[in-house]
This record gives sequence, C-alpha cells and structure tokens, in this order.
Amino acid sequence: MVNLPTTPADILPFIIAVVTSHTFITLVIFPGFIHLTIVVMFLTWYERKLLARIQLRIGPLYAGGPGGILQPIADGVKLIFKEVMIPYKADKPLFLGIPLALVFLGALPFAVIPFGQHWVIANLDVGLVFVFAVASLFPSMILIFAWASNSKYPFLGGLRSLFQQVAYEIPMWISALSVVMLAGSLNLVQIVNAQQKTWFIVPAFLSFIVFFIATMAELERLPFDLPSAEPELVAGWFTEASGAVFMVIFLALYMKLYLMSSLITVLFLGGWWGPAFLPQPVWFILKALIVATIIIIPRGVYARLRVDLLIKVGWTRLLIIALANVFITVVLLSTGVLSAWGL
Amino acid sequence: MSVPPDITFVVLTTVTLLAAIMALQAKELIYGAISLAISFIGIAGFFVSLDAPYLAMLQIAVYVGAVVVLILFTIMLVRREEADKDETGETGQSAAGLWLAGLLAVSIAGIAALAGPNLPATPPPGNLPVSQLGPVLAGAYPVPLVILALLLSGALLGALVLAKVDK
Repeated sequence: MVNLPTTPADILPFIIAVVTSHTFITLVIFPGFIHLTIVVMFLTWYERKLLARIQLRIGPLYAGGPGGILQPIADGVKLIFKEVMIPYKADKPLFLGIPLALVFLGALPFAVIPFGQHWVIANLDVGLVFVFAVASLFPSMILIFAWASNSKYPFLGGLRSLFQQVAYEIPMWISALSVVMLAGSLNLVQIVNAQQKTWFIVPAFLSFIVFFIATMAELERLPFDLPSAEPELVAGWFTEASGAVFMVIFLALYMKLYLMSSLITVLFLGGWWGPAFLPQPVWFILKALIVATIIIIPRGVYARLRVDLLIKVGWTRLLIIALANVFITVVLLSTGVLSAWGL
Repeated sequence: MSVPPDITFVVLTTVTLLAAIMALQAKELIYGAISLAISFIGIAGFFVSLDAPYLAMLQIAVYVGAVVVLILFTIMLVRREEADKDETGETGQSAAGLWLAGLLAVSIAGIAALAGPNLPATPPPGNLPVSQLGPVLAGAYPVPLVILALLLSGALLGALVLAKVDK
C-alpha cells in the first residue's frame, strides 16, 4: 500500500510510487491496457497480411513500417473520422452502448489470465469460471445489438450467432472440465503450474481438439462464420455498424480472438512455461499468437458450413466427444497412469 | 452500539431492486430483459460480498448467460405486434397483486422476526465444503429455507397465472 500524500513535497514521490507499484503496472502496462491495445492492433494487421499471403496477394504495404505494420493506426484514424450512420428507427442508446460493452467484456477476462508467474492482475481462485461467465455474456449482447439495429440482415445474423454460440459453449465448458480435473483447480495460475512437466495437450488431446473447434465457433471464424456470412447477410449482425461503432466492434472481436488464444495457451499449451532463455511473458505471447495464427488460417482455406450441419456437429458430435474425454480423464487419473508425467 | 451502514450492501440492494422493478415496468420487452440481466448481476454482487465468488460466477453464467438468452430468444421469436397488443391493464388485478405481495411481505417479516433470535450467532465459515451445504442449511437455518421456499412457490404460482391462456 502507498500512503496518501499530506504535503506538496510528497506528491511527486507519491506519483512515482503509484506508477511503479505492481498493481498499476499489471493493470495499465503489461497484461493490462497498453499491452492489450498493441496486441489487438497487431492482430488486425497480422490477419490481413497472413490472408493476403495465403491468397498470393501482398496485403497492407504503404502505411509505414516494415510490411505496412502501421496500417491499424491508419485504419483507426479513417474509421474515427467517418460518419456514424444510425439506421432509421434504430434503438440509439443500445446501438451505441452495446459495442462499448462488448469491448469491456472482451477485456475483462484478461484480469485473470496469467502471462507469467507474477504477471497476473487478479489471481482469482475461480478464474476459469470467471472467464467463462464473462464470455457467456457475449451472445446476448450481440443479439441485443442486432435487434437494436432494426434491420433484417443484422437480426438474422444475431439469431444465428446466438444459436451457434450457445450450442458450442456446452462442449467448450465440458472439454475444459478434464483440464480442471487434471490440475485439480479452477485457478488459472495453478492450472499453468500443474503443466510444468507435461502440457495438458498430451493427456487431454481430445479435449484440446473439441475446445479448439468450439473456440472457432465462438469466435465466428471460418468455417463457422455463418453469423456474418457475406453472400447472404451482407456482414451479419454488424451490417449496420459504421465509422467508430464499427471500429469498436472490430476491436472487441479481435480482443476476443486474443482472449480465446490466451485461454487455449493457459489450458492446454502450458501457459508461460518454456526454455529459460526467453522470459515467461514472451513465451506466453508467442504461444498465444501461434494459436491465433492457426485460428486465422482457415479463413483463407476453407468454405463455410451449412447451418444444419453446424448445429448437428455441435450437439451430436462435439458434445459426445467432450463427455467421452471426461470419462477417459477420470479413468486415467484413477488408475494413476499419469503419475509418470508429474500429474 | 450502532452498526455503520454497509455501503456495498446498500448500493447492491438499490441496483438489484431498481433493475427488478424496471424489468417489470419496461414498455419495451427487450429493455425488460436487459434490466433483468442487471438485476441478476446485482445478485452476483451479493454473492461476491458474501465471500462466495464461485456462486457469483455461476449466477452470471447460468442466469445472465443462459436464462436471459432464453428470454431474449422468446422475445425475438414472438412477433412485435403480438407482444405490443397485450396491454389489457385491468386495475382490479394489479390491486389484488399489490395486496397479495403486501400480505406475503408481512408474513415473511413476521416469521423472520419470530425466528430471528434462534439463528446461530456466527455465520458458517465462508469456505464451506459443498457436502456440508445441505446439513448446514437444513440444520441451522430451517426458517430462512422455508421462507425461500415460500417465495419460490409464490413466484411459481404467479408465473402460472401470468401464463394462463384465456379461453
């Protein structure tokens, strides 16, 4: 704790003490605000560049820096100065408020994601449930935004998004269950600590596959991007968003992409653990970016699923595989096969 | 000895109750659903202030993440004209409702006042194992449990009355 200043001479040391305190640094600089902004901006550029390379194009080039890496700043400035079109008879407070809520909800779970042994804002005992609880608010926000646009395409996209995310939340939670059983904790720091010897992707490989597919569906990434299918629904649930509103939604979507990549890193890929020649947070961010790459690549490769197939896969295949994997984990744990791997 | 008012409790109560009233009074159904979500989040806040973060998270995940989603689905699937024309506004019903709610409140307050002194002086430990939850609830706190049951059955009856299809 830092004592409040009493005399004018104390103010400067006070400010220095606050700015250098662990809470301030974790909240504002490293796992917090500035780091998130930079990584999210990087991801928007990275996706464009990667997809361009897959399609034998060049991608962003002229905005400055190597490979046009300053493109996100140019994009941001452009979107801020564009007119925000609000559709006729749209629900104005919700139309403007929900995008902000989406960004807030996308950033909130980073409070419990550990980027290193000490690089975590809040070491919550129920961290995993916290992430899932906050993530479960996304679909309803999206539907409310779609409704507030008062337009056909966003509404259809919003309904699809809700169907899809609710259907894939269940296999996702259940596949995370086997990780929780292996680690014996819901605390994300302890989950990572339990993976010091063996990453959970090895004993819970099926879970990883199910979790990964469910993540793609949650993020509305190809081949699951039905809620924003451009030939049918223009841009899905954010068709009516323009200018700054669109920018904020865009940020929220990439925030969620980074969140889910980080969550996969924490649950299955050993979090910050790696050879000691790089500091822990670097390993974490590297792993998360690799996961994000694997999530992005299908967008340049695969076609879109049909709606009925999507629902069928979610409810009849993934759910069963996830449940089977819970059973397998129970058997592995109770027979003590895993003790050789330090579990 | 005067107990200082617990600011967290006051704020949470105000938010939860106001949101609950808004949920009932909202002209637009979707605003009702949003208010209901805020009310649920307020209840999650109560759990946090009672040192039960796990319950709080599940409250958000289940009630805000699932129940409100179901309500939203229902609102979206019902056409707007149908939802809007259901404005019968019978004054007799609301008077009876107020009267019944008052009766329920008075009886619950009476039971609570009678049973209050019998409650254990110290609350059970915060990190109670789940297996101990049932014995503690039914053993040390029978009266609050019964009051909860009364409230729930009242809500159930109310839901039945509201959902009754007029022939």
